[in-house]
Amino acid sequence: MPRITVDGRELEVSEGRTILQALDDLGLLMNGIEIPHYCWHPKLSIDGSCRLCQVEIEGIPKLQIACNTPVKDGMVVRTKTERVKRAREGVMELLLVNHPLDCPICDQAGECKLQDYAYEYGVPHSRSKEPRRAAKKRVDLGPGVVFDQERCILCRRCTRFCREVPGTGELGVFQRGDRSVIETFPGTALDNPYSMNVTDICPVGALTTKDFRFKIRVWFLDDVHGVCTGCSNGCNVYLSVANNRVYRYLPRRNDSVNQTWICDAGRMSYKEIGSESRLKHAYVRSASGSLEVSTYADAISAASARLRRLIERQGPGVIAAVASAHATNEDLYTLRRLLEALGTEAAGFAVPLGDHDALLVKAEKAANAAGARALGFVDANGLVDRIRGGGIDGLIVMGHDLLDPAYVGEPAVLSHLDTVIVLDTHRSEMERVAHVVLPVRHAAEKSGTLTNHDGRVQRVHPALEPAWEAYADGEVLARLGASLGFEGFERKWDVRAVSRELAAELPAFAGKDLGSVGELGKPLADASR
Amino acid sequence: MVISAETRARIDLEIAKYPKQRGALLPALHLVQEELGHISPDTAREVAEIFGVSPVEVMEVVTFYNMFYDRPQGRHHVYVCTNLPCSIRGARGLLRALEKHLGIGPGETTADGRITLGHEECLGACAYAPMMRIGGKYHEDLDLEEAKRIVDALR
Amino acid sequence: MLKVPYVTNYLSEHFAEDAYATLEGYERRGGYEAARKAITKLTPDQVVDVVKASGLQGRGGAGFPTGLKWSFMPKGADKPRYLACNADESEPGSFKDRILMERAPHKLLEGILIAAWATQSQTTFIYCRGEYAFPGAQIARAIEEAYAKGYLGKRVMGSKFSHDVVLMMGAGAYIAGEETGLLESLEGKMAKPRKKPPFPAEYGAFGMPTTVNNVETFCHVPHIIGSGAEWFKGFGTEKSPGTTIFGVSGHVVRPGLYELPLGTRLDEIVFEHAGGLSAGRKVKGVIPGGMSMPILPAGQLDVPMANEFLRERKSMLGTGGIIVMDDTTCMVRVGWIVTYFFRDESCGQCTQCREGTGWMHKIFERIERGAGSRDDLEILLDVAAKMDGQTICAFADAAAWPVQGLLRHFREDFEAHVAHGKCPFPQSFEL
Repeated sequence: MPRITVDGRELEVSEGRTILQALDDLGLLMNGIEIPHYCWHPKLSIDGSCRLCQVEIEGIPKLQIACNTPVKDGMVVRTKTERVKRAREGVMELLLVNHPLDCPICDQAGECKLQDYAYEYGVPHSRSKEPRRAAKKRVDLGPGVVFDQERCILCRRCTRFCREVPGTGELGVFQRGDRSVIETFPGTALDNPYSMNVTDICPVGALTTKDFRFKIRVWFLDDVHGVCTGCSNGCNVYLSVANNRVYRYLPRRNDSVNQTWICDAGRMSYKEIGSESRLKHAYVRSASGSLEVSTYADAISAASARLRRLIERQGPGVIAAVASAHATNEDLYTLRRLLEALGTEAAGFAVPLGDHDALLVKAEKAANAAGARALGFVDANGLVDRIRGGGIDGLIVMGHDLLDPAYVGEPAVLSHLDTVIVLDTHRSEMERVAHVVLPVRHAAEKSGTLTNHDGRVQRVHPALEPAWEAYADGEVLARLGASLGFEGFERKWDVRAVSRELAAELPAFAGKDLGSVGELGKPLADASR
Repeated sequence: MVISAETRARIDLEIAKYPKQRGALLPALHLVQEELGHISPDTAREVAEIFGVSPVEVMEVVTFYNMFYDRPQGRHHVYVCTNLPCSIRGARGLLRALEKHLGIGPGETTADGRITLGHEECLGACAYAPMMRIGGKYHEDLDLEEAKRIVDALR
Repeated sequence: MLKVPYVTNYLSEHFAEDAYATLEGYERRGGYEAARKAITKLTPDQVVDVVKASGLQGRGGAGFPTGLKWSFMPKGADKPRYLACNADESEPGSFKDRILMERAPHKLLEGILIAAWATQSQTTFIYCRGEYAFPGAQIARAIEEAYAKGYLGKRVMGSKFSHDVVLMMGAGAYIAGEETGLLESLEGKMAKPRKKPPFPAEYGAFGMPTTVNNVETFCHVPHIIGSGAEWFKGFGTEKSPGTTIFGVSGHVVRPGLYELPLGTRLDEIVFEHAGGLSAGRKVKGVIPGGMSMPILPAGQLDVPMANEFLRERKSMLGTGGIIVMDDTTCMVRVGWIVTYFFRDESCGQCTQCREGTGWMHKIFERIERGAGSRDDLEILLDVAAKMDGQTICAFADAAAWPVQGLLRHFREDFEAHVAHGKCPFPQSFEL
């Protein structure tokens, strides 16, 4: 392993890496060792044109770009010398010569690398008296992206991204010199399932999302670590939160899951958190047959009363549960314990399937299908057969994926059941047949862990509080258990304690409880791959 | 198909000369432009298909190089060199006089579509300044009268 | 067709014969004998050694030792090796490669053949600027003749060595004359120079090891192999042997081509060979090596035309394109043209070049318009300094140096422009 010295600090690096790659490997780049850069990106090809990452290398007369210089044993790198400082000033000053004074109206302000590096490494004032280049503004580049050609610093990250990651290559650099502009082929749009990633990698406000445009200034936002729940890939995200509201998802780097990317659908799935169709009340079906708003406590009592009656008349064997792949491992573990206490084994989990691709998008459209399987739940289609066949009379249903055509297809299939208790984040057709409906929290509103397709256990944090009464599925199930008088459900549901219990009972989850799993997740012990 | 079978055949001959197909892209664009006058988006799409590259990549090439046009031009393209050796011998005055003579502004095309008049950078005729290029032919050691005669003779 | 050089030497001595451009006429004057000698009597390494010993430097502007460059090519049969001939001559003031292509295309091919043998390359790509229709046609015809005679293709001259030559016409971009910009263009892409490493000898045309040489550089090779390294060193200076074909343009009596030994004094070329300044005027400044090379003022023309001397005057030989300017010339207008050119031709990749060339030209525009200030002169020098030596290729250097040169020697022109609010030279050429 070659050893290099950077600003007097000795580092052991991997063979065949460039200076920036080596520092990135060690987690030191822009995190202890500052080498500002634009065109380089850890997940894209090397470009070498922004010239900002120039550093001094002992023995080489000219400054070298750190992004394209392979490490060599004994290399001595200096980033804080006068020459480097002047080189950075030069690049920054020249970048600002044609850059429009858009900060007051630009979404990127506050998270703009041009602002940041101009402040940090640039010159304090502009000397240019020349008119700036005029180019296109507010270009409707594609369904998700708006483009400002004047703000562009031609780092070419976006053109490289489109060619190298989704492979669609919609963007190119037309013309040359200071007339160079990023363009699409006439009449075409930037339209691929990963198009909005260009807005993350664009260092400036040239590429921004239509969705976030003018919504809020980023300095009001807190970025909470989380996981996208759109499919079983479990792309890591930041939930950008302010005013108890999630304004957007941004991909969070996890080299074992999603690199630095997220698909457009996943990025936009934050909208489900604040959707109008959120379930905001508990409901109980009255004697007259209508679904009435209820207090939470009354709803739980009504649910447990129905279950108790059912058990008395027919025994617990007619009770079944449909787990949700949207629920956390802790929620599902609690369901397991409730089913044990009830004395029934009839259970399955429903997860809708959709398109998948070779990049990130997985077919299972929920975040915790692997967790459900690891916790002993099988696919619910067997259970559905039993329901149709008449062997089940009471159903605890988490979510509404049971309604997917792959399972019951329509609520009427359940209308013969004596008791249907629904726990859900959103309203659905399940209300047609439910006897009790209980609002639960979205992954963004609670702590817990989710297991992705690869068997990686990842944690979520509560980014906001629902403005109505709602609890984690596990807490609701625990209260149901307590209401049914089952032993072990008396104490208040504590997700961290449950997480520890889970990790202790199931060897695959050892070391993957909330307190130990960390912010980038850990694979299940028996995860193949 | 915008590109004729003949031109397509000539493109294929070029492709055969290069270890990678794409090496023949510039020659192909020259041939296509010879036939069609300029490279429209449709033409670019066809060229892209021939070479198995994206239309964007073809447009990048077309817009990068001076000799490829992405829009229609006059029948004859007249370029006066206005680089340093030519300019210090009066090339720019000559160009302006020619513009006046044809009644058009810099880079414009005559109303009858006959001539587009523009300027070019050094054409390698510095000892014979001022001079101009029309297609594959150089006209060197010009004075204004000679230049006017030459452009007037273009049909 | 360019007129023959006013002074000839070994490269151009037969240029007056139109038939010299044909294979038959070329062979009548001893053409292809050197190639035959190389292929049948010398090993590739021996050829490289001779060229190394000769001290031949590249004639494309950079002056890199040719033999050394050839020796960078890897050996072994695992992948093809290529040569590229840089016939993209676009440096303002240069037209020497043009005459070599027009009047001695077979000399070029012979030089290529010898280089191919020396580096064991299988194909040479001649990249000719698109505007050179006639020179390109001459090359194309010569290639056909050479193939027909068995001097190219399979079993060259009956040997086991095969070599192909492909001519490609460019499409109008100065930057395609940069070594790796040329390779990109050859591959059918925009001529945007590549970052180095890797260097062309490792990763060149189509990813294969490639050596790129200028037209004139190849043309010296048959003479070196034919007459020997010692003979070659008899011309020119110790550090810069051989001749070159100087192109003289601008305000001289006899603009044209002059093949002279390197080290010939600039004033000798301008005043003796080219007949001095036309219209009875006095010289103000001379650009010695093509527009990228810093200008020399009237008092500094006694410099021998070779890099080791020109460097002392903060200039370089470049492509030997000598541009002579008399005392009516406004140097600010010269700078306007220079910066216009570099702004137009910048490929646009590197920040400093893309923005710097634009900024410099805009400043010249403003000074020419009469809205300049003395601060602008400092900004020009500062921007030039920020461009120098910090980009993917040397284009930014080439854009910076002339501006530095103009300000170094003709600051009075600038200050007068600024002070008067317009060009103070009423007789200067029109802009």
